[in-house]
Amino acid sequence: MDNIDIGLAVSAGMLVLVLIGVRVAFAAAIAGLAGLVWIFWAKKGLAGDQFFWALTVAVKTAGQVPHSKVASQALSLIPTFILIGYLAYYAGLTKALFEAAKRWVGWLPGGLGVSTVFATAGFAAVSGASVATSAVFARIAIPEMLDVGYDKKFAAGVVACAGTLASLIPPSAILVIYAIIVEQDVGALLLAGFLPGAFSALIYGALVIGLALTFKNFGPPVTGFTWGQRFASLPAAFPIFFVVAIIILFIYNPFGGDAWGTPTEGGALGAFVVFLMALGKGMRWPQLKDALLETAKLSVMIFTIIWGVLIYVRFLGFADLPGAFSEWITSLDQSPMLTLILILCAYAVLGMFMDAIGMLLLTLPVVFPAVIALNGGESVAAADSAFGMSAVGCAIWFGIIVVKMAELCLITPPIGLNCFVVAGVRPDISVHEVFKGSSPFFIADAITIAGLIAFPGIVLYLPELLLGG
Amino acid sequence: MAGHASILSDNSLLSRADRALFRGETFLALLGGLAVFSLMILAVVSVGGRNFFNQPLPGYVDWIEQIMPLIAFIGVSYCQRLDGHIRMDILVSRLKGRPLWAAELVSTLLMLLIMVLMVWGSWSHFDRSFDFNAPLWSRDSSLDIRLPIWPAKLLAPMAFSVLCLRLALHAWGYARAFLRNDREPVAVPLIEDAAAIAAKEAASVSGMDEQSGAA
Amino acid sequence: ATEWNVSLWGKRRAFTEHVEKLAELVKEKTKGEFTLNISYGGLAKNRENLDGISIGAFEMAQFCAGYHADKNPSITVLELPFLGIDSLEKEIAASMAVYRHPAVQADLARWNATLLMPSPLPQYNLAGVGDAPRTLEDFEGLSVRATGGIGRAMETVGAVPTSMSATEVRQAMDSGVVKAVAFAPHAHMAFGTVENAAWWTTNLNPGTVNCPVVVNTDALNALSESEREALLGSVDEALDYYVNFYNEKTMKRWGPLLDEKGVERVTYDAASLVSFRERVAGPAAGEWIQEMSARGLPAKELYELVKVIADGD
Ligand code: NA
Ligand code: NA
Repeated sequence: MDNIDIGLAVSAGMLVLVLIGVRVAFAAAIAGLAGLVWIFWAKKGLAGDQFFWALTVAVKTAGQVPHSKVASQALSLIPTFILIGYLAYYAGLTKALFEAAKRWVGWLPGGLGVSTVFATAGFAAVSGASVATSAVFARIAIPEMLDVGYDKKFAAGVVACAGTLASLIPPSAILVIYAIIVEQDVGALLLAGFLPGAFSALIYGALVIGLALTFKNFGPPVTGFTWGQRFASLPAAFPIFFVVAIIILFIYNPFGGDAWGTPTEGGALGAFVVFLMALGKGMRWPQLKDALLETAKLSVMIFTIIWGVLIYVRFLGFADLPGAFSEWITSLDQSPMLTLILILCAYAVLGMFMDAIGMLLLTLPVVFPAVIALNGGESVAAADSAFGMSAVGCAIWFGIIVVKMAELCLITPPIGLNCFVVAGVRPDISVHEVFKGSSPFFIADAITIAGLIAFPGIVLYLPELLLGG
Repeated sequence: MAGHASILSDNSLLSRADRALFRGETFLALLGGLAVFSLMILAVVSVGGRNFFNQPLPGYVDWIEQIMPLIAFIGVSYCQRLDGHIRMDILVSRLKGRPLWAAELVSTLLMLLIMVLMVWGSWSHFDRSFDFNAPLWSRDSSLDIRLPIWPAKLLAPMAFSVLCLRLALHAWGYARAFLRNDREPVAVPLIEDAAAIAAKEAASVSGMDEQSGAA
Repeated sequence: ATEWNVSLWGKRRAFTEHVEKLAELVKEKTKGEFTLNISYGGLAKNRENLDGISIGAFEMAQFCAGYHADKNPSITVLELPFLGIDSLEKEIAASMAVYRHPAVQADLARWNATLLMPSPLPQYNLAGVGDAPRTLEDFEGLSVRATGGIGRAMETVGAVPTSMSATEVRQAMDSGVVKAVAFAPHAHMAFGTVENAAWWTTNLNPGTVNCPVVVNTDALNALSESEREALLGSVDEALDYYVNFYNEKTMKRWGPLLDEKGVERVTYDAASLVSFRERVAGPAAGEWIQEMSARGLPAKELYELVKVIADGD
């Protein structure tokens, strides 16, 4: 057996472990370590007296990974973004946003649904995680929608789906993870999520309006707010813009001067602003302690997957599986775009059964180099490439699309986490009903993804400003 | 798609050991949370220093690299106690009683095996950076301000050892449940149905709103 | 057949051409019996390459002395500021002399590593944005990305050195986190710092970094006589190829690129350079000798070994 076969066998073994319920982080670490042992042992001809040597080398090689990969400045954005989200609850930002959105766009057909979409998009700018975002809005938006007669399936569906915006609009933990895995500029990826997030929110909004115009008894618009009332609703939501501005200015200065610092600093300063607001709103040590414990738990969960998967990735490096996969993909006798679309379809299927972060971490080490190779390689010029963009551009573009795919899996049965959470907040709404209410939004997401593929400029416009085109 | 667990307790030795260990784990996780908080403070000091006093914080990146392992490792056992490490339980959740406890026992023992090996590997990683005879015992230091790296590297085997304890305890719990054919064993995370997960997530969010008085 | 794994990082570039050449020569000389599989970053992180060698995970690796001075204190002598080494040939001669010293071999033997060859680099001159430092005083408060000995040299004249990985440097400079970056020309090109730079120092010549290629000693000893001969006998040719490649492909592009990007060349007069050297070089060498002697290394001997080559013709 050569190394490629070992690579395939071990990868299959890992999928079995994941399927039988071994936690993803540990399944990846077990597979990676077993693969390393196998490769080192095979190098010594699988001789019986060399097994312990192979085990020792493999264990020591794997033992380097957790510290050396985790001690990184860029990764410090993940816990910071998680902390921002928790602090934002205490800062009262959710309620303020919903109120403002209601007064400004509530008059549209399906007004409260549209308000929910835009308020959630606003909250996404301080929240790094989709599930948490849906959980909060389920409590705030659903009761109001039910009060004025919206269908409960729709009300629950719109909240579950709008929550996924949190992973595109910066700050986003999952975009940071993508950037780290594929070794791209974190700032560029965060910036890249902004327009597609807004685009996606607009499509959601248009879909709600379309539904409201199509179905009678959908739910009335909310009218009667004066301009005075509208403007009065803004100050409470204003801190969101402040935080967004800080994070953006630390990544890229649109006024032509230097950025104010690094994305790491921007994220941490944003968290500090929200922290001060939460203090102002009455947060004290017991609440802060809860937020810190929740942040610690979620962070350690993510970091454990990261180092577990990176042990598997280290093994892949020795097996050279990504290289072999790239060669195979590029040798296919079909258009690169078709191959890309097939890859995305595979993600849609996989996403039905897997968690978004786990799915990306497990697949990207092999899939990403293949996509770059499809485009024409690491040093291809935009003019000669298959997708009409440079390698860096392709990395960013594919990142946004694949994250959008991963987010789609949060609202698809059977394991759409956002839907479970919304149903959990509302005991009167079953998971089944939330899935039903979410289904129209698949169309919106399909349109969004098609739009991002057809018009890469939506993704690449902002990062190209940062990277100097 | 676990991540939520109910852990039952009683007066057995197992359950008491579980709760005692959990107190330790909670303390460690809180240290991890405070480490996240310190990242925030560090950035404020760094940006403030650079912009207002023209004096950047020396070794800002070095300090972040020292803090990150604290965040990434120290709560790993706390997360396992609360069943926070994600997995696909689509198959396992269909099992009940003895087959379930057997499956959980196998998966726990596999995790215990990998973590024992990781303690060995990460210890050796620490050991290569540590030298009793060198200044600050350091055989590897950070790039900028030359902080010794061994304390950060030591965190991994330490946190992983606590996780091994936790996994051994879970293995004990599942083995006991299997032998006694328990329906609702203590001290181990139980897979919940969607309704229970949901109720818990709802409670955690509503708790936040009520405590903050912001809702 | 013998297969060795080689752990490099980044992409194939001037800095890795000697290893690529070595792999080619070894394969040719042994008729494919002995191959070097080069991996760019797949086997270890650059700062963990020496660890990987000591573990035995791969057989050959490249790293830089300044990444972990504590792991390889003896060879940091080659990273002292203002040694006065002014060509790649001299850099090779000084490196090889140091690598052959028994105390240095013993230092690396702690990692089960045998030093094979250097990756000679020219002087790390500064490229930067904003006002160029035209006198020694101008360095006061200048934030500069510089590692190892050059970083400490910068500190001596009041600059604020920060180290970050090479891939982050471009953004750090664009965002104003650092105003200047010390790199060799190929790195100024590879990591894009030349794109937005306003100025470049032509003759500050503060020093360079030393990045050896090492092999795992056990693996080296396990080679057959002919394989060993093929490997060790190809080092000189690989280095010649490297130097030629660097001078022809990199340095020839450098001048025109500076013109094209409109980068101002800042040249210091002799008096400034002398005062710079006096303030930095002597104290740095003295401090190094003291610290390394305390660790039990023949520090003075190593320093003089390098100086003799640097000052020779
Ligand atoms: Na977000
Ligand atoms: Na799903």
